Amino acid sequence: MRQPVLFAFLVVGLTFSAIWSLSAGAVPISWQVIANTLFDLEGPKQEFIVLKSRLPRTFLAMLTGGSLALSGAIVQALLRNPLASPKIIGINSGAALGVCLMVLILPGISLAWLPVAAVVGGIVAALVIYLGADLRGASPVRLALVGIAVGFVFDAGVDFILVTSSDAQFSAPLIWLTGSLWARGWTHLNLVWPWLAALAVLAMLLSYWLDLIRLGETAATGLGLRVRVARLILLSIAVLLAALSVSVVGVLGFVGLMAPHIARTLVGGSHKVMMPCAMLVGMWLVVLADAAGRAIAPPVEVSAGVLTAMLGAPFFVYVMIRAGRAARV
Amino acid sequence: MTSEGLARNSGGGIFLPLLFLACCVSAYASLSTGGRSDVGIWGLFEDGGTGAAVMQDIRAPRTLVALCLGVNLGLAGLILQAITRNALASPAILGINQGAALGLALGLVFPALGAVLDLKALSIAGAFLAGLISFGIAGGFGGRLDSLRLVLGGVAVGAFAYALVRFTFTLEDDVARQVLRWTVGNITDVRMNEVRSIAGWSAGGLIATALLAHRLNLMALGEAQATGLGADPRFTLLAGAIVAACLTGTAVAVAGPIAFTGLVVPHICRLLLGSDHRLLVPATALAGAALMMTADAASKWLTAPIETPVGVVVALIGAPYFLYQTLFARGLD
Repeated sequence: MRQPVLFAFLVVGLTFSAIWSLSAGAVPISWQVIANTLFDLEGPKQEFIVLKSRLPRTFLAMLTGGSLALSGAIVQALLRNPLASPKIIGINSGAALGVCLMVLILPGISLAWLPVAAVVGGIVAALVIYLGADLRGASPVRLALVGIAVGFVFDAGVDFILVTSSDAQFSAPLIWLTGSLWARGWTHLNLVWPWLAALAVLAMLLSYWLDLIRLGETAATGLGLRVRVARLILLSIAVLLAALSVSVVGVLGFVGLMAPHIARTLVGGSHKVMMPCAMLVGMWLVVLADAAGRAIAPPVEVSAGVLTAMLGAPFFVYVMIRAGRAARV
Repeated sequence: MTSEGLARNSGGGIFLPLLFLACCVSAYASLSTGGRSDVGIWGLFEDGGTGAAVMQDIRAPRTLVALCLGVNLGLAGLILQAITRNALASPAILGINQGAALGLALGLVFPALGAVLDLKALSIAGAFLAGLISFGIAGGFGGRLDSLRLVLGGVAVGAFAYALVRFTFTLEDDVARQVLRWTVGNITDVRMNEVRSIAGWSAGGLIATALLAHRLNLMALGEAQATGLGADPRFTLLAGAIVAACLTGTAVAVAGPIAFTGLVVPHICRLLLGSDHRLLVPATALAGAALMMTADAASKWLTAPIETPVGVVVALIGAPYFLYQTLFARGLD
């Protein structure tokens, strides 16, 4: 009984935030005008801003927020590490470096290749961490540290490319890098939504694997799951979800960390329920961050990534201290 | 810190002069590279003319600032690694760099705040506060400092402060590119003014660290032993933290947050000279200066004619080294 109410609450909250996101910004638009524009009630009013600029942004915020949350939930379950998230284990930075390298080496290339470059970068980062962790049999906290270090290496590469390129074409990726939905439109949305939607559905369908893996390797094998294969497939889904998100909105830190934790507190640890809940929470977080970033000091925009980091860094500390206490007891 | 570590000190006799030599070579490299290849080091001693102008007004200040930055960051890293007994501690990893950057950013964006307190004081205060928070997160006030949590907590504090820096700057103006150049650590535009503003702090910091060296040695023995030998570890901790915050804060005020120098330099010196801080202090100062002046030379030469900010050059070396450390360092788990 509790869960349907909770999900209904999340959906309603998300809807209201989305409407706020449509109204906030350099040109404040009242709710009536938004409704009129969306449902075409009384001709074109503010049509351009609402339909061409803010609507795709809001959709993109939902899409990437949900994807990062799912990716985080998978990574946390696979690594059995409450501190893990696509950002912490370096996937986001890897994807960012992939995109920067591509723009640097092939400046004339079409936008459609951005996701490919991001995915390649994300996979490389994931491989480094996977091998590093596997070889050393690392503890959860150690693993988070290795991931952070991998992120630093990729970040150094990104910084190098960004500051040494004299081209103006790099000012766009620069904004992009801080995790911003600024100037994102239907083109970006169309580029990734089919993939992300398919991956999200796949992640939901396979979420029971995560429950089995949580039981331990022997138990999971006994229940008929080929653990190594399942792990590889799930990790690939997580990397793809995160890297594709990064390819359109940049490094939105800590969403993948926060959303699964919040969802677990709300509905418990069963992944069949937790994953959809985490997805909604992630959507909500990013939509709110994007809208708030526009509402704080119009016409200046604060990157959504800056806001999620300000929220997420203390959250990370909180999770770390709690995990430490649990380990000691 | 064992007798074996102290026994290796005999190497100090060879390595200190070698480090000094490295310092001279890198100073020459830093002075002789730059946009104008027709200007050479002799310009320093000329009276008037282009060569003299370029050398005395542009290159010499840069080289001197790089030298001071190396001294500051290297020593700050050395102190932090000693007082936390953590090989991964350094200004950037513990969030102290970013805290200083935040203090500075707040001072720049809110002139009212900058008028009350000197920018450098704000930067030092930010550095100290960030270090304090990281220390608290790791359980330092409860008496048991968890080394992994210190590093992870520091990274989180750094991420938070960095996000706030970006936030303050977006509110001020849309100067993303300049901000990025500054936030990675840049000394392209320093002049004699900056040299004057940092040199005194570097010298003072060097003396202060040298005075603390014996206490840092005792710290490595463990808190109980340090107390038994008459050095209150709490005093060492506080004094060390203040000196490290001053060194980092003044460095950040001049050049922006430069990462990894404070991590790498003490490691190299410990590898060469063992673990006696009375030797490590001068060695770290020399090695830090040498590293930063080499990085300055590389920053001018690597992607000529565009300059790579010196902080990026250091990060390109330092970040992989940090990764290596996290994978293979012992005694962390």
